[in-house]
Amino acid sequence: MVRYVIKRVLLMLLTFFIIISACFLLIRLLPNVPAQQFGKDMSLVLQRRVRQGLVDSAGNPIPLMSQYWHFISRTLIGGDWGVSESLYIGQDCMQIFVSKLPSTILLNLYSMIFAVPLGLALGIYAALKKNKWQDHVISTGVMIFVSVPSYVYAFLVQYLLCFKFKLFPLVMNSGTKYFTWSMFHSMLPAVLSLSFGSIAGFARYTRAELTEVLTSEYLLLARTKGLTKAQTTSRHALRNAMVVIFPMIIGEFIGIIGGSLIIENIFVVPGVGPLYINSITALDYNFFMLLSAFYTIIGLASGILIDLSYGFIDPRIRIGSKANGKY
Amino acid sequence: MKKLTVIMLVLLVAMLSVFAQSAKETAEPAQTAAPAAPSAPAAPAKPATYTYNYAVSDFPTNWNPHTYETNTDSDIYGNIAAGFYTFDYNDDETGYKVVPDMAIGEPVDVTAQYIGQYGLDEDAVNQAWVITLRDDLKWDDGTPINAHDFEESAKRLINPVAQNYRADNLYSGNMVIVNAKNYLYQGKTVNLENATNAYYEMADLTVGADGVYVTPEGGKVYIAMDSPLEAWLGGNTLSDYVGAYGEAYFDLTNWDALVALTDEDGLVELTEETYALFVPVTTGNPNWGETEADVPAYFVYSSEFPALDWSEVGYKALSDNELLLVLAKPLKGFYLLYSLTSTDLVKIDLYDACESIVDGVYTNTYGTSVETTASYGPYKLTAFQADKQYAFAKNEYYYEFNDGKDIYMTTDIVADYVPEASTRLELFLQGKLDSYGLTIDDMETYSLSDYCYYTPGDSTFFMALNPDYDALVTMQAAAGANINKTVLCLLSFRQALSFALNRADFCLATSPTNSAGFGLYSSLIICDPEAGTPYRSTSQAKNVLVNFWGLADDIGAGKLYEDVDEAIESITGYNLTKAKQMFDQAYDEAIAAGYMDGDDVVEIKIGTPNGTSKFYNNGYEYLVNCYTDAVKGTKFEGKLRFTRDDTLGNGFADALKNNQVDLLFGVGWTGSTLDPYNLMEAYTSESYQYNPAWNTSVEMLTINIHGTDYTTSVKNWNDIMLGETVTITSGKGETIDFSCGDADNDPETRLDILAALEMAVLMTYEEIPIMDDSSAGLKGMQIQYYTEDYIFGMGRGGIKYYTYNYTDEEWDAFCASQNNQLKYN
Repeated sequence: MVRYVIKRVLLMLLTFFIIISACFLLIRLLPNVPAQQFGKDMSLVLQRRVRQGLVDSAGNPIPLMSQYWHFISRTLIGGDWGVSESLYIGQDCMQIFVSKLPSTILLNLYSMIFAVPLGLALGIYAALKKNKWQDHVISTGVMIFVSVPSYVYAFLVQYLLCFKFKLFPLVMNSGTKYFTWSMFHSMLPAVLSLSFGSIAGFARYTRAELTEVLTSEYLLLARTKGLTKAQTTSRHALRNAMVVIFPMIIGEFIGIIGGSLIIENIFVVPGVGPLYINSITALDYNFFMLLSAFYTIIGLASGILIDLSYGFIDPRIRIGSKANGKY
Repeated sequence: MKKLTVIMLVLLVAMLSVFAQSAKETAEPAQTAAPAAPSAPAAPAKPATYTYNYAVSDFPTNWNPHTYETNTDSDIYGNIAAGFYTFDYNDDETGYKVVPDMAIGEPVDVTAQYIGQYGLDEDAVNQAWVITLRDDLKWDDGTPINAHDFEESAKRLINPVAQNYRADNLYSGNMVIVNAKNYLYQGKTVNLENATNAYYEMADLTVGADGVYVTPEGGKVYIAMDSPLEAWLGGNTLSDYVGAYGEAYFDLTNWDALVALTDEDGLVELTEETYALFVPVTTGNPNWGETEADVPAYFVYSSEFPALDWSEVGYKALSDNELLLVLAKPLKGFYLLYSLTSTDLVKIDLYDACESIVDGVYTNTYGTSVETTASYGPYKLTAFQADKQYAFAKNEYYYEFNDGKDIYMTTDIVADYVPEASTRLELFLQGKLDSYGLTIDDMETYSLSDYCYYTPGDSTFFMALNPDYDALVTMQAAAGANINKTVLCLLSFRQALSFALNRADFCLATSPTNSAGFGLYSSLIICDPEAGTPYRSTSQAKNVLVNFWGLADDIGAGKLYEDVDEAIESITGYNLTKAKQMFDQAYDEAIAAGYMDGDDVVEIKIGTPNGTSKFYNNGYEYLVNCYTDAVKGTKFEGKLRFTRDDTLGNGFADALKNNQVDLLFGVGWTGSTLDPYNLMEAYTSESYQYNPAWNTSVEMLTINIHGTDYTTSVKNWNDIMLGETVTITSGKGETIDFSCGDADNDPETRLDILAALEMAVLMTYEEIPIMDDSSAGLKGMQIQYYTEDYIFGMGRGGIKYYTYNYTDEEWDAFCASQNNQLKYN
């Protein structure tokens, strides 16, 4: 197991290095010519390109591979992600990024807290009421919420709940007092908008897995041994169904720090969601590399964690062990 | 499963506990205004507050006056800073005047005292000015501000190490401080692109002792082989082009020899030998379409700036409240005061603390947070949360608040970042915002609202075409067989495109707040800032419109139009019948000239910066439909089609120049409202033209000067209008040395030249005016504008003059009484 983990981590680092190198080279290959401004001393405009490490102070272009080596030595080895070059000029990229994480994490955490129990409950209920009207209602709702993009709910939630019925503020409160009722209340529309899709997703998977497990012969055996339906469902069926569902929860949980570009924009959540695309459009290289590295490492790490989680949930699964192992 | 359930429950309970606890805490004041408990002792009455709330769709990140780059950034700076002078309403409140702000009285001309210093010669006038400052200027922490702070700020602005983005405030434009640029660039040997600087011809250069050509100033000249050429090659290098197109466009016989001579900066020293090697590269293959006359555009030359002491820069504090400005060129009257309506003042101790050198590059975080911001204007920054909100409160140390002249009713300003227009509108309708900028989608609902105000802009937007025959030949060859583009170089075809365009409909489709544009300049452009006279209101400008649109013969008693104004009112720019005639004429001309044959299809590639903007998407669709319909029944029917490149991004403006596309729309210039003379350079100078095919150095223009017709090139007329002395020739062969700049005190003749140049540019039909910029917005019921009409420099009063119909408390109550849904239509 330990060898397997070490191997996976090393592979992860190699993948990370390849992805981040590709990101670096591709973003630097994008055209970056300052627009002509009437009456402007363009050599001052070119200073941004000096800051970006594209040209030296005399205006001469720096070869791409030199830029790449500088990035490796300063950032990947030295851990310095540099300062923002166009989005937040002169400010430390890491500081800006970290300052934006709390609202994104909180928003997505609330969403998970809503989505997981509700999604599981609906899935279980639908599975237990399979092919009855309750199942049809839930399944129809699930199909709708899975199919429609979350920003559509977001606009509907904002228009109906915030604007028409005035149950919530239209946008999230400003300030950093995150753990107040007022702030929570202002975040609820965004939380709801984010939750609908997840609830539907969890419900769909739970229903599908549980339906399959509930028809297994060993459950019939459990019932014949005298267990009640509730006991068989909770002790045996649900536990086995969770083998598939639990990694999904972990994956979603890790993804919460990724943020949501559109939802954060609509409800003006000052989070990390829009940063990535803004860093590309503004050609803020340092910010782009920091965010690319962050999302890459999150994605790769979650892959490993999900794989490892199978072993914890289902003792029969022994990751990395020989194929002839007993269980 | 049990464990999972327990974990979930614990998490849920923990969260609820936190919120339950938090709910007991005092809620944030902005969100709730809890009524006082009946038993509580009566608190002293709070002074009424008047908060101006607005939303921004882009968020400022840097309001350091030395480095900010965008209008969004200047939003904060505008509230926390002041100028030496400022705009105010004139006496009858129909226009503007410039009055002292941080200064006392007018600047005093002390040029005579400084003759022989700072390079001022005997006949210098209006070049040295003393500004006397108020003695009660303070920062928002109470620290006094004196003239030395301004000098130190200017020194930091042009700090050679910093190379600040706004450093050219002191040397570009009208106000040029003596030696400011030399101080900024001191010690630097810079390689300047010949095409955008001196543009030396070979005849201007001499061979140095080492065989390398040098400029008249002694700087070495190089061929830019692998060094970017911003103007000529759009920031690319010649090597890039050679690598991409090879022998299809270049003669590469000598290329390898030149590459072998290229140094690490991508340059080859210009000698007789390298010149001979280089000339065939860009001129030997007709597909590249250049001649030997274009070869100097590939040169760069070195220029050295000697070390310079600050004492030689014409910016000095003479005492605590006297500031001396010495200018490299004369400036007086309105333009002097206008140049002094903003300052570059920074709080020195804070500024210096924000400096750092990262990777050898200077950075400064001044003006990026509340902590790094110091105010000396009417408001101070009190809150700033990136990508969320910033807020201001009155700065109690602002001098105007302490001398009994406080007319600012606004006590607080809150700006929220709300990127989605629909959310901004909903906030506005709930009474949370005091203004809202209307979008295309809102116009149908709100354009007739009593609360809707239109604000003219200073830009005219054009459709720019590529009429360069050589470039079009190249592009049509690349587009494939039976594709024609060279028809664009026919004037008749470009005229047809102009007449076929219904500009009013185009505005409705793309930006309904804009109005149809018919000339180079919009109605906001002012040609006489002292009197505030709009250029379009002058007889010269009016004649340009009636002549260009062919109405001159229809004006007069008993004719179609009684006077010029009536004729101008009738202009729509749309004449489909004439357009069809012109299309047929263009087709015949194209066939006769051998540009195309009967099997060819004209394919016009339209460039846009992106594929997501509604303006560009609707505009592209409109143009395609408009021209496809317009050619029906003409010889071009079925022979005109369009393609689109929507990936141009920041390179959008240079796409014609780089021969990437054939047509751009929505292009134009902004920021020169008060100087149409200088702005003309945007249309006549190769550096700024969207497509430099029109060679203004050889295009001749005749203008009647004081009763005599004189002829010289368009470029020369432009230079004359900007104050340069040029020899011009009359029809009888007489020559005179003539200049007609601001200092020549002949405004009518200067206006004649400007109008003649406008006509000349329009007649090329290479930049066809399509719309004048304008925006529309809703005003909230809480506030009252000072003037209904928009006045340049004053707007409708701005924060200084806005008044309020309700206090904040009353406004909240009013909105609640309206169920938080206000009616604005």
